[in-house]
Amino acid sequence: MQIRGTAGMDLAWTVEQDGGVSLVRCRVHNDEAVPRRIRLDSRLDGPVLPPRRAGVPEAGWDAGGVVVRLGPGASRAVGFAVPAEPTEPPVEVGSVTSDRESVQGSDEGDPFSGARSETPVLDAVRTLGDHRPPRDAVATVGNRREDGEKGETERDDGAGVDPISDGEAGDGGVAPTVVDEWLDAVADRVDRAERLTGADLGTATEVVEEADGLDGVSDLRRRIETDAERLRAVSDRTAALAARAESTDVPIEALERLA
Amino acid sequence: MILAVAGGKGGVGKTTLAYNVAAALGAVVVDADLGMADLPGGRGPDLHDVLAGRADPIETLRAGPVEVVPCGRTLAGARACDLTRLESAIGRLERERGTVVLDCPAGRRSDAGVPLAVADASVLVASPRAFALADAVRTRELARELDAGLVGCVVNRVVEEPPTETIADALGAPVAVVPADPRVGRSVEDESPVVDAAPDSDAAVAVRDVARRVPS
Repeated sequence: MQIRGTAGMDLAWTVEQDGGVSLVRCRVHNDEAVPRRIRLDSRLDGPVLPPRRAGVPEAGWDAGGVVVRLGPGASRAVGFAVPAEPTEPPVEVGSVTSDRESVQGSDEGDPFSGARSETPVLDAVRTLGDHRPPRDAVATVGNRREDGEKGETERDDGAGVDPISDGEAGDGGVAPTVVDEWLDAVADRVDRAERLTGADLGTATEVVEEADGLDGVSDLRRRIETDAERLRAVSDRTAALAARAESTDVPIEALERLA
Repeated sequence: MILAVAGGKGGVGKTTLAYNVAAALGAVVVDADLGMADLPGGRGPDLHDVLAGRADPIETLRAGPVEVVPCGRTLAGARACDLTRLESAIGRLERERGTVVLDCPAGRRSDAGVPLAVADASVLVASPRAFALADAVRTRELARELDAGLVGCVVNRVVEEPPTETIADALGAPVAVVPADPRVGRSVEDESPVVDAAPDSDAAVAVRDVARRVPS
């Protein structure tokens, strides 16, 4: 740990490196008899990744560092990560101002009160619980939990119920509903993209309208890219599975004789 | 002016009151219940799209006796919402339309808190049951912390005369009583606000009473 004192204030730090990210821990102490607002700047060559709550950076942080408010004789520890090589020193004191006005009252115990949030909205997001429904509750391709009846989709014990064909064998050649639906949706998008490929102005306008404007089209492009990737992955996997399936031979007669 | 209609508990009639108060104020009503939308939807973009950064709030406006910003119905959409976008979206609607009423979700999580943080004032809705009142008191605390001054509360679907004074004391705001009236219950679904459909009914009087207390 290194310590540096400046004008009635102590700053101590450690830096660790882990997987290309530098983790900086520092402790700042106000030696003066007045409350002060101290800005700590990162000296590392990269954006500061501040502590977050519910996805929102804690109050007082920005891409360059943090502002902390310290009462007389008080200390505060802060830490952050930067995706960059460590440097020495990793932090420096950017500015120190006296913070007389907010010393009274209930702010006393709150070291960040000097940097109290920019907006009550961010405060609410930070301090109240996450609003998002859990990921497990959300339907995605191949994991349709939302409709309740496909709850066992995630059972991945290999020998269990086939979530798609519900254990019924012999419907060869027919793709299961979920896959069908997905392929239909992809086909729609590919259709639209094909109509846009080298289209004349009239067709293009028509498709852009259908896709709810240019935003829709850029969304379409992104989704098509994802589609292509997924299709490729699925096709590789299905081809490999089909080959393996064809080369198996379940010796049912032999087993029956043994049973 | 941004007014939040909140209440803590689900099923007390927040949506119905938000819709009808918006009618009385000539305001836009926004379905801010991200996980359980109640106001009429539509085919176009909705609040989920706005909070995911895919749509402008103005394109979500849905015409009708009361202009509505509908909310998406999917959990995936709710999950993709970034609540920090709500403030600018509602601000945009306020600049375009003047008054905006937010129909808030139940509970005290961030999806209930952020609309209160965005709002200038709030109205609490409670049913005449004691536990609904307890939730309303908790929500009032949240509204107070988030600076959404309470302008009034509504006791909804009243059958017997409720202890109005006790409720007003508990919540520290004037109480309007909306009697159980099927015309109020149907107003959202039929898109027929009670202040238009039955302007002389007790319910319409109570709704106008609440609307009058909202500072313009």
